[in-house]
Amino acid sequence: MSLRRNNFSQQKPGSRIPKAVCFCLFLLCAQLSFAGTTSDFRAANKLYDEGKFPEAAAAYEKITPKTANVYYNLGNAWFREGKLGLAILNYERARRLTPRDPDVLANLRFAEQRLGVEDVNTPPRAIQRFLHSVVVSHTPTEWGAFELVALWLTLLAVAGCIFLPRARTAFLVVAIIGFLGFGASAFALGYEAITRHTAPQAVVVIDDSEARFAPLPESTVHFKLAEGTKIVIREDRDQWLLVERADGQQGWVKSDAIVPITPR
Amino acid sequence: MVWQVTPNRTGQFKIPAAEVEVDGKKYSTEPIEITVENVTAQPELQERLYARVQFDRQPVFLGQTAPLNVVLFARADFPLYGLSGFQVEAEGLGYRHLNKVRSESRGINGVSFNVVTIEGVVTPTRTGKLAFGPAAIKCQKRVGEDWFGRVQTEDITVPVDPLDIEVLPLPEEGRPADFAGAIGQWNLAVTAKPTELAVGDPITFTIKISGTGNIDTVPAPKLGSLEGFKTYDPTTKTTKDDLNTSGQRVIQQVLIPKSTEVKELPDVRLTYFDPVAKAYKVAMQPPIQLMVKANSGGQTEIVSGGSRLRPEEKLGQDIVYLKGDLGPTAATIPFYATSTFWMLNIIPVLGLFGGIGWKWRRDKLRGDVAYARRSRAAKSARKLLASATSYDEVQHALQSYLGDRLNIPSGGITASIVDEQLVPRGVNGELAADTKACFEVCDTVRFAGGDADNGVTATREKVERLIDEFEKKQL
Repeated sequence: MSLRRNNFSQQKPGSRIPKAVCFCLFLLCAQLSFAGTTSDFRAANKLYDEGKFPEAAAAYEKITPKTANVYYNLGNAWFREGKLGLAILNYERARRLTPRDPDVLANLRFAEQRLGVEDVNTPPRAIQRFLHSVVVSHTPTEWGAFELVALWLTLLAVAGCIFLPRARTAFLVVAIIGFLGFGASAFALGYEAITRHTAPQAVVVIDDSEARFAPLPESTVHFKLAEGTKIVIREDRDQWLLVERADGQQGWVKSDAIVPITPR
Repeated sequence: MVWQVTPNRTGQFKIPAAEVEVDGKKYSTEPIEITVENVTAQPELQERLYARVQFDRQPVFLGQTAPLNVVLFARADFPLYGLSGFQVEAEGLGYRHLNKVRSESRGINGVSFNVVTIEGVVTPTRTGKLAFGPAAIKCQKRVGEDWFGRVQTEDITVPVDPLDIEVLPLPEEGRPADFAGAIGQWNLAVTAKPTELAVGDPITFTIKISGTGNIDTVPAPKLGSLEGFKTYDPTTKTTKDDLNTSGQRVIQQVLIPKSTEVKELPDVRLTYFDPVAKAYKVAMQPPIQLMVKANSGGQTEIVSGGSRLRPEEKLGQDIVYLKGDLGPTAATIPFYATSTFWMLNIIPVLGLFGGIGWKWRRDKLRGDVAYARRSRAAKSARKLLASATSYDEVQHALQSYLGDRLNIPSGGITASIVDEQLVPRGVNGELAADTKACFEVCDTVRFAGGDADNGVTATREKVERLIDEFEKKQL
């Protein structure tokens, strides 16, 4: 008892109360902020329903932080406004957050079909298409969780092989399965993380954007990019970006013609 | 005896009678008179190399496909090496030709010629008198060989005289109302499989059109009523020769009878213009009889949702409507970039290695007595020392330690162990002397007696230091 009393006496008077108050204030602020965001979201939806698509898009743009549903609705607003490149951009952003949402996938495909860029945005080789479809089917967070589960499973099974030799065969099978799962999820996670950092993707938002041989206005046009085309940014230099098409062709494009999928 | 004569000018010639005497008797032939005329009907023989147009379908009808060949004649003694090109003006005639030519040798009025034929066809697209040509064939004449034996050639252009082709419109008289542009001579064949079936079973209805003419002008034949059938889009397969002068089209359609009231497939009718007969004709196949039974479920007609099948529904396309709620907020930092993720990756790896190490040590302690004794030597000796109150117990602790460390029985260890075991293991100097002194002190007090209180404590501390030193030296 005396020890407890001593402990109490060593604490600064009232030090627990501010912490609790701070935590409550934080929760309150978060709650208020979320309530505000929700009301903004509903207001933007109302503008959309009234056919005021540019105003709705502007309202969606103001909402922070943006959820997948905000990007999705923003894509719809741009679609109705006729800016299909911006629509594809925001559908892509929504897909990165909810990769298996059927509404997002349907609208993205529909917008790409409308612009005729579905083939251009599809990797040309079968192996690339397969890898891409597998990697983008889950978010990096999901791949990270898979990787952790597979790693723990593998290591526990290895431990089982070592410490419980009677069930070694069963543990070995589990270890092999876990290791394959670990390898696949680690590959997908690594691929996603590396491409996001080294080769960020972007969407062309201005139709017939000219890709030139050099970052100069007078340079020869190499090829033209249709609105809604997905490209990879290889280099950023002032007002110009070196971009690469899915077929490997590279060219310098004015930076205002394309918008990165991962917001800067 | 046979003679061959070749006149080199025109006029009247007389070959006189020939006489021969055999055994004093004379035999003679009748004189032969020969008239050599200028051959105006065969101008080709005036030249060694010339070209002509061969066309025997005058007049042709609009849209009719008729063969037209351009033929190059080269006398056998002319060194023709090959053809390198062909140019022609044939506006409105729809002329096309094969890129591959046909070559042959032919005797014309006793003279041997190499004949090269460019096979082609005309399909007029307008009426009137249309000109085929002027045209020109580019040839290569062999002029010799170079030092390496390679053939040297000279280009020659052979003109082709133009030919007027009269193109007539298709006759208005007798034109059937369902004529849709098919020109040629066409046959129609129709098959259906199976003809005995149940309601809802598919029938493959095959229509085969074949004959001469441009198959591309032949439309799908007219079918009678398909009421009572569920229909699917037909598939069409067309084959034709290189110049499209003959061909075949097979149209397959899947039909499903919707009730047992269906008794026959519709009749098939194709109307076309025959340019040879110069008349419109109709190829027709009568309806094929069917035997439609109730299906295995006893249904005599296909129903859907309580009503008859309706035409296939075409769905509209548009974007999916808005989301009504905000949905979950994504983390600002990806999970893989957090320290939690990496800790959760490292912990199991460390845990596994730790477990493997622990198991290895446990197995070693169980199986290796020397290792087990050495490992626990210091710990057990310190335990003994902690409770030691006499020289005997202090000495026992030291003996126990050295016995465990050196894996020897500890009961018989005395000061002599220093020289026998410790010095050979590298324990020299002060440490060896102190160890020996400890044993001697303990032995002295044990056997001779003396002041023990302060001495035991000092000796115990000294033994503790010795153990520490031995541990440091990894005895």
